[in-house]
Amino acid sequence: MAPIVQCMGLTKTYGRKIALNQIYLNMERSRIIGLLGPNGSGKTTLIKIMNGLLKPTAGEVLINGQRPGIDTKLRISYLPERTYLNPGMKVIEVIQYFQDFYPDFRMDRAYDMLSRLQIQPNERLKNLSKGTKEKVQLILVMSRDADLYILDEPIAGVDPASRDYILHTIVSNYNRNASILLSTHLISDVENILDDVVFIKYGSIVLQASAEQIRQNEQKSIDRFFREVFAC
Amino acid sequence: MLGKLMKYEWKATWKFILIANLMITVMTIMANVTVKLDFFSYEQPNVIQFIAIMVMMTYILSMFAMIIGVAIFLVYRFYTSTYSDQGYLLHTLPVDKHHIIIAKVLVSALWIILCEFIMYLSVIILVAANGEVFETLKDGMDSIISITISETATVRGFAVVMSLVAFLFSLFAKLLKVTACISLGQLSANHKLLVSILYYFGIYIVQQILGVIYLAFIAAINKNNSFYDMYGWESMLVSGIVYSVVFYLITWYVMDKKLNLE
Repeated sequence: MAPIVQCMGLTKTYGRKIALNQIYLNMERSRIIGLLGPNGSGKTTLIKIMNGLLKPTAGEVLINGQRPGIDTKLRISYLPERTYLNPGMKVIEVIQYFQDFYPDFRMDRAYDMLSRLQIQPNERLKNLSKGTKEKVQLILVMSRDADLYILDEPIAGVDPASRDYILHTIVSNYNRNASILLSTHLISDVENILDDVVFIKYGSIVLQASAEQIRQNEQKSIDRFFREVFAC
Repeated sequence: MLGKLMKYEWKATWKFILIANLMITVMTIMANVTVKLDFFSYEQPNVIQFIAIMVMMTYILSMFAMIIGVAIFLVYRFYTSTYSDQGYLLHTLPVDKHHIIIAKVLVSALWIILCEFIMYLSVIILVAANGEVFETLKDGMDSIISITISETATVRGFAVVMSLVAFLFSLFAKLLKVTACISLGQLSANHKLLVSILYYFGIYIVQQILGVIYLAFIAAINKNNSFYDMYGWESMLVSGIVYSVVFYLITWYVMDKKLNLE
């Protein structure tokens, strides 16, 4: 079976600035992959190209063997690093919205997570704190039975006490045949759940390996190794 | 998916439109009362006359407020839901870009037609409150219709229907011009909204020039015809369709082939 994600010479430039430079990358199925890099390294650019929100300058990305389009959007569940819901809507309305547009959305799973996180379905999004809004978005995204979950900084905006719960939510709610691509710079919080690791720096892939391999070869945690690779 | 997109576009916009139309309704009732009770008469005390003038001024201002408010609201709605943070959700839905554009334009067109209908109805109600003015206006409208449209009922009916179709395409062209300009503005690295506005004025000027060239051309080949023959529903329909297609294709091209959400 073909990899879930294939990047072939993927390049993105903004004027003279190179955001992604000739990326060649394959991501396997049924893996949790950490896309790790400092701010401005190109993580979000890569993710946005996978989701069809940006067009590459050169090269291409294939999801399930297809270019980003309607078919890939049916199979990707994407959590952006920003609030993308209409603030005037109620939680219950955005759940209905997802139910209407995504055939793989599981409403019962969404309501179960809402009740566990004590979020009221009738609350308007504009009345929720930034952290709670991010939790609602995560619930929406994790309530789908997708082939690929792409989570861009899913824990950046929530308090440390909630991070473990959110990571638990991610790990316990995804379809086991699916892959998760998780972008973050808070590595110590996520490294225990990662199967594979991709380091990205100045728009180039500097390392792709399994988490176990790094720990064995380097005899240190991924967080420690990351700090050495990306030391200023 | 088109139906679902239209449903959510409707849900996101109906409250503002309702409030705007309620405002016009309340002002129409108040203005109607001042006319019916003859508040403008010199025999009324100064305070009553002053109130009547203030009510009429507020009525006229509320009309302008509705036209400008609804236009700004619909433009803002298109921009925020398509090219700002909410665009992240819209453009990751498994839907065709054609459906996104059609849903937004159809719902916006529906609201504009409703608002225009309410405005015309409001003016008619107010004019009818003063019987003499109403009769004069009615005579005037009849004579305009008899000049612009041929005498026979069949031809007149056809012209009315075609004028409505032409109006509809002209409305689509105006809405799609806005979506095209906002979309073109997104291609700029900086000052996207400002660039969108510049595109709007640039296109407006080009349209004016094309309009003048068209009129000169028609005048040259139809030397004996009147202005109405030259610039009837046919011209409006052709320009409406042509501009609708051009602006639609620009919007679709940017949204589908050149999308670059920041």
